[in-house]
Amino acid sequence: MAPVPMPSALTFELLGKCSVTKARAATLHLPHGPVPLPIFMPVATQASLKGLTPDQLEESGCRLCLNNTYHLGLKPGQATLDAIGGAHKLQSWPHNILTDSGGFQMVSLLKLAKVTEEGVRFLSPHDGAPMLLTPEHSISLQNTIGSDIMMQLDDVIATTSPDLARMKEAMERSVRWLDRCMQAHKNPERQNLFCIIQGGLDLDLRRECTAQMVERDTPGIAIGGLSGGEAKDAYCKVVDTCTGLLPEKKPRYVMGVGYPEDLVVSIALGADMFDCVWPTRTARFGNAITTRGVLNLRNAAFSEDFSPIEEGCRCVCCRKRDEGGLGITRAYIYHVTAKETAGAHLLTMHNVQYQLDLMKRAREAIIEDRYPAFLHDFFAKLYSDKGKYPEWAVTALRGVGVDLLSDDAS
Amino acid sequence: MFEGDGTSKFSQLPPEMLDFTILKSTSALAPRLGRLSLPGRTPLLTPGFLGSTSRGVIPHISQDNFRKYTKLGGVYVALEDFIEKHPQKTPPIFSPDGPESLRRFIALPENTLLVFGARRQPPIPTPVANTNTEAAILTSVGFKSISSEYYAAAARKLQPDIVVGLADIPFGQETVGTKRKDKMSDRTENWTRDIIAKRNDIEKGGEEKRWNIFAPLLPIDRDLQSWYLEHLVDEMADKIQGMAIYDAYLLDDLPEELHHLPRLSFHVPASPHELLRQISLGMDLFTVPFISDATDAGIALDFTFPAPTKPKDMQRSSRHSLGIDMWQSAYSSSVTPLTEGCECYACTKHHRAYVQHLFSAKEMLGWVLIQLHNHAILSSFFSGVRSSIESGTFEEDMAAFEAFYDPNLPEKTGQGPRVRGYQFKAEDHGKAEKKNAKAFRKFDGEGTEEKVKVYAAHGQQPSKKKAVEDRIDDEALIGLVDLANVEGVEGLSIEDDSQGYREPQAAIEHRS
Repeated sequence: MAPVPMPSALTFELLGKCSVTKARAATLHLPHGPVPLPIFMPVATQASLKGLTPDQLEESGCRLCLNNTYHLGLKPGQATLDAIGGAHKLQSWPHNILTDSGGFQMVSLLKLAKVTEEGVRFLSPHDGAPMLLTPEHSISLQNTIGSDIMMQLDDVIATTSPDLARMKEAMERSVRWLDRCMQAHKNPERQNLFCIIQGGLDLDLRRECTAQMVERDTPGIAIGGLSGGEAKDAYCKVVDTCTGLLPEKKPRYVMGVGYPEDLVVSIALGADMFDCVWPTRTARFGNAITTRGVLNLRNAAFSEDFSPIEEGCRCVCCRKRDEGGLGITRAYIYHVTAKETAGAHLLTMHNVQYQLDLMKRAREAIIEDRYPAFLHDFFAKLYSDKGKYPEWAVTALRGVGVDLLSDDAS
Repeated sequence: MFEGDGTSKFSQLPPEMLDFTILKSTSALAPRLGRLSLPGRTPLLTPGFLGSTSRGVIPHISQDNFRKYTKLGGVYVALEDFIEKHPQKTPPIFSPDGPESLRRFIALPENTLLVFGARRQPPIPTPVANTNTEAAILTSVGFKSISSEYYAAAARKLQPDIVVGLADIPFGQETVGTKRKDKMSDRTENWTRDIIAKRNDIEKGGEEKRWNIFAPLLPIDRDLQSWYLEHLVDEMADKIQGMAIYDAYLLDDLPEELHHLPRLSFHVPASPHELLRQISLGMDLFTVPFISDATDAGIALDFTFPAPTKPKDMQRSSRHSLGIDMWQSAYSSSVTPLTEGCECYACTKHHRAYVQHLFSAKEMLGWVLIQLHNHAILSSFFSGVRSSIESGTFEEDMAAFEAFYDPNLPEKTGQGPRVRGYQFKAEDHGKAEKKNAKAFRKFDGEGTEEKVKVYAAHGQQPSKKKAVEDRIDDEALIGLVDLANVEGVEGLSIEDDSQGYREPQAAIEHRS
């Protein structure tokens, strides 16, 4: 039995739909201001984005970033968050925050975590004391954090798990936990709780879960449990299946996705929101995301490359000096990467800007109903010839009416 | 009085010529006020300080934050940070043509003064000795030597505003024999002549920028560098634009004919008290390595000059700390600024609770915020010093400062500091090569002589405890250890469009 539907603290303003694919463009009005969809959300796990100040993050165009409930619950802890008045005040971030519930971290970071009906049992990384994270506790923490979008606690297991019974149990438990989360949620008028669809790679389980979750009428819907190393074809099928069953007027968030081609394909499959630590994590290792692929600027070939990280990029690093930018070159990134933290900061800014800019360009294309052409162009720039296009992307896009291998770019 | 004086003279100077105007000076060994001006650069008021860069950037302060949030009028950049490919290959820094290639490479703003030297401050001692023709340096891949000609050619190519002449100083040696000191003086003179000749090759008023030269004053007694100093006065005084002083207590030995020149201190100060002592002897310009040292240790500097006046009823027996250890959890709920009244970005935008959280979580931003703050503290400190000199109260203010604050910066308690790998190795190497012990002489106010070590050998102390190292998590990897030593990084190959791009470990960690 689903509880009484809760109020929503967001409005979803659909601006346009692709006439070929399932792509949508929208504006999501959240408690801390509107954000454009599709959106990539940088991950500031511990209330800080890899050395960037909130102002630098803001300048990259970001208006919605992630924090993690599990990490903030450990540090600075609920009492401190309460005293300070939430995560926005902790990190002086005037825009929106989405918090992941902590279930995933529990399972992925803690070998000794054990999931029971009550919640996730684990040993404290501080003192080894046994602890229990329940749906109620996760929601209480997220209420204290004050995030604009909260995620339910879910029972996450690797999609690659062969144990169908366990998969079904996790899916059903996630539904029960959603009910407990909704019951425990104190601020539905100013914080949005999203459900998370589970069910591994089994499409029937996913369908069943989607139906149950949709019935509970949360302000937004997430597709979880993916990007755990499953085959891309299977990933696309899950996303495609779920979005097909979701109401049009709600945002759809695919958790943990961030490679550029994953983003553009997932958008075509009807997803709106994405997050991933990859763009910021990879920056610290000297990897720059560009339209032509990822460049590892630690490679000696770049030591004498005095061109910008990406020609035409509008990030503060790449913009020329006479355009108010820094005029940072690939050679300079080569010079400082892994030697000074500022090297990571510079490349992190570039990578975040790239991701946000990619979403912006996708959104414009959808609004102008030329998303298929956008896809053609995107893959043509990323791969030197069509023979190198990833098969999963070709297949997935063919399923929504776009043939990347044809020369007709309409 | 800062404005106005000397501007008419300034306008008649050749375009690249540095002008140093002494705005106030009472006697030879006394604090003085000055203004260093160079066309196109923001004039620097002295006493003042330069930002110390590492590989072209002030540690933790990306170039955009440098522009937005610091008030630094100048930076110090070391050649040794750029030439690790030497001598096998031409270092990339020498490739770009065009004016001011170093400034453009490190994205330094147009109006910031660029001071260039061979070695970082403080330099890491080298096991390789200097020779008559070459000086030893330390690059990120090891010890090398550069010739005086190479140094001068580098300056010519990179076009900084000020070039500090090469000095022959056996850094790290606690005792130096008299014969060696004679050599120091001879070589330094030759090298100074070299750099002057190279600079004078550049046509005055021509296309190519003519940089300014600061000549070294060696950390040895005057009688041991008397020939060099005589020749400086007689033959080079009109060709140099400033002095680089390696031992502040030898300022007394500076010939009077060179008193009009700006004095850049390379005598590493361990505390603000030592800065004040050097200022009291008439030093003008500093690099302040303890700023970054404090930052790396998680210490937010917390002092003002003049010191606050103690309320009579609140006399404390103990002196105030010069900094706040942000590893301490005492501030975890404190929504006050690092320093009340501080106008830096960290203090106006954030609070102690956040900074403490960042340190506790080992997030890089913690170091960024403290570094911005610590530079702001020093900017205010020097501004206070100048006002104090101007109003003639410097001696009293200095005494009050020493009475108010602890004599030393607080000890580091937390994990870290962030260590650059090659410094660590160098430090170890320096220890293994233990040299004899003897000190340079210090002249103090009482007229007594005391032996002190040259501070130049300071390195950062990495944590050698394995347990602590193990607790460094990946999230803050780059904040605490040198990535070059991290397994896996070196193996990353270029992953371009032909391969599809996947970072091996990335998939499982997507969602966090």
